[in-house]
Amino acid sequence: MKKNLFLCLLLFSNSSFSSYQFETVLDNLDDAWSFVFLSEDKILYTEMPGKLKIASLSDKTIKNIDNVPSVQYSGQGGLSEVALDPEFESNQKIYFSYSSKDKNGKSTLFLSSAELRNNALVNSKVIFKANAPRRSPVHLGAKIAFLKDGTILLASGDGFDHREQAQTLDNHFGKIIRINKDGSIPEDNPFINLGNALPEIYSYGHRNMQGLVVTRSGKVYEHEHGPKGGDEMNLVEPSLNYGWPAITYGIDYSGAVISPFTEKEGMEQPLLHWTPSIAPSDMIFYEGNVYPELKDSFLVTALVSKDVKKVTFKNGIDSQETLFSELDIRLRNIQASPGGIIYLLTDGPNGKLIKVLPKEL
Amino acid sequence: MNIAKYPFAILSAALFTVMLITPIGSLSNLIWLSSVDMPVGLISSLEVVLFDFQRLGIGLYAVVIIGFGVAFSVAGLISRYSRLGGKYLFAVAGAVAIGMSLFLMVELLFQTQLLGGNRSIIGKMLHCVAGFLGGYFFYSLISAERSYTFIVRSLGILYAYLLLGLVLEWVFTPINASADFGFVLNDLSSAAQNALLRDFTSFFVATFIFTILGVITLNHTWFLSVGVLYFGAGIFNLIAIYVHGTEFNQIFISEFILGAWPSALALTIILKNKKNRL
Repeated sequence: MKKNLFLCLLLFSNSSFSSYQFETVLDNLDDAWSFVFLSEDKILYTEMPGKLKIASLSDKTIKNIDNVPSVQYSGQGGLSEVALDPEFESNQKIYFSYSSKDKNGKSTLFLSSAELRNNALVNSKVIFKANAPRRSPVHLGAKIAFLKDGTILLASGDGFDHREQAQTLDNHFGKIIRINKDGSIPEDNPFINLGNALPEIYSYGHRNMQGLVVTRSGKVYEHEHGPKGGDEMNLVEPSLNYGWPAITYGIDYSGAVISPFTEKEGMEQPLLHWTPSIAPSDMIFYEGNVYPELKDSFLVTALVSKDVKKVTFKNGIDSQETLFSELDIRLRNIQASPGGIIYLLTDGPNGKLIKVLPKEL
Repeated sequence: MNIAKYPFAILSAALFTVMLITPIGSLSNLIWLSSVDMPVGLISSLEVVLFDFQRLGIGLYAVVIIGFGVAFSVAGLISRYSRLGGKYLFAVAGAVAIGMSLFLMVELLFQTQLLGGNRSIIGKMLHCVAGFLGGYFFYSLISAERSYTFIVRSLGILYAYLLLGLVLEWVFTPINASADFGFVLNDLSSAAQNALLRDFTSFFVATFIFTILGVITLNHTWFLSVGVLYFGAGIFNLIAIYVHGTEFNQIFISEFILGAWPSALALTIILKNKKNRL
């Protein structure tokens, strides 16, 4: 065991250039997408093909969770985010997002709740199905967060081919959704009484959101993939329009202009944008004490730049620092354990869960 | 010349088709932007249409060349061994080539529609119409005797098309253009920004205009001027690196290629004119 740890440290560390060392605690993960801590030692994680698993970080044992609904594993779709109910300790409830086909055979985003008991899901229930049918499961968003009032936020991406619909309120393309835990619609949702607008919509004009965080002050931050350039980080407030695709700092993958405009009255400017793209994949707001230099910072994992961006804001001006670039691997997800230790999940097949060791240890 | 004209006719017809295709996406996008009250005006429209022609078009150009290469070869065989023939056969082949290329791009590669203008039925039809006209244009190019000037003009237009990207970047988005050259425009002093913007923009606009004039007049002086300018840029790039100690910048390779291309066209014109005089 000690020998393995030593080898991992040797492989992943470069102490002469970095403050941090790394330890691979799990490997051979099959397209793992997200994880949450059940305790300091146990995580619950998703694998895109439709597996939900519990892993022990100390003895490396992995157990499959039974009764997971079937998902559409294709393109960018599959079993995506998993989140614990804020009262998980008492109700054992979890929420998970995934892509599946609707009754018309079109792909869309689903959000389900279930109780996690004896390594199986019970009382599973679909609490939200996005009115965002698409041919192939791409640009789903799928991130989950809880507001202070206990309601759920769910990111529903623009579906790529349907980007213009992010600007209309009669669908769930490019929207952040707010619902109650049972799937009902909160009475104070911003568009609940507006004509053809779908009542679940919280904010709109988004693209492919991959980071969604509620800070202890209750503020909601999200980041989203731009096309070629124009990855954005936004402060999300109810009813606001974040502009995609009418305003953007990116151009299309094909090279085409999406919009010659980067700003317009009535459309929100991002807090920051990354051009060229870093492909942000997840985000936490670090509040632990293990790495004092990271406290009260946003930590954003990235697929293309293969690092973590430490982002802080002072008087509306952002400051950024690149972390963990020595790993040189596409990072899919980031979480802090209950004790404040940071773990990174790598992207794709043969994924790894990497523990970030503070230099003091 | 009879055989040599075919590949150059495909290159020219493909560029002509790209010129027809890219505005379909640009216009559908501009119409949508107007519908959501974005302040679409003449300048912003021109920016979208020109940028799409260059940046979207350059990727599309490769696809269209391959599609036309296959379709026109088949059409050529059909016309040779059957009674079918003439301009409409190639026009239909062009339409089929574009339709199939766009279909396969979605089905085999991405499962999503990369071309915004191809998302509607009308858009798909317009793309096929562009292919039809491209095929018709191809036939008109191959149906007549062609001299060396056809090749010079084809390659000259292609060269101008490549330069157009640099021109547009420096005219409309100099910050992005600067980043492509490895520096941040806003980090420079105002005087340096001014010098850079005026010199770089005039350099690329001038070489683009010289190339177009060369294509129109077939006067070798225009092409030679462009060649000298880019060779000069390459040489002084190396002098900057090795004499003045600036950072190594491999862009000099592109500069020599951009110098060699019009110089070769100028040399071809000079030699042919000399031969004709003899």
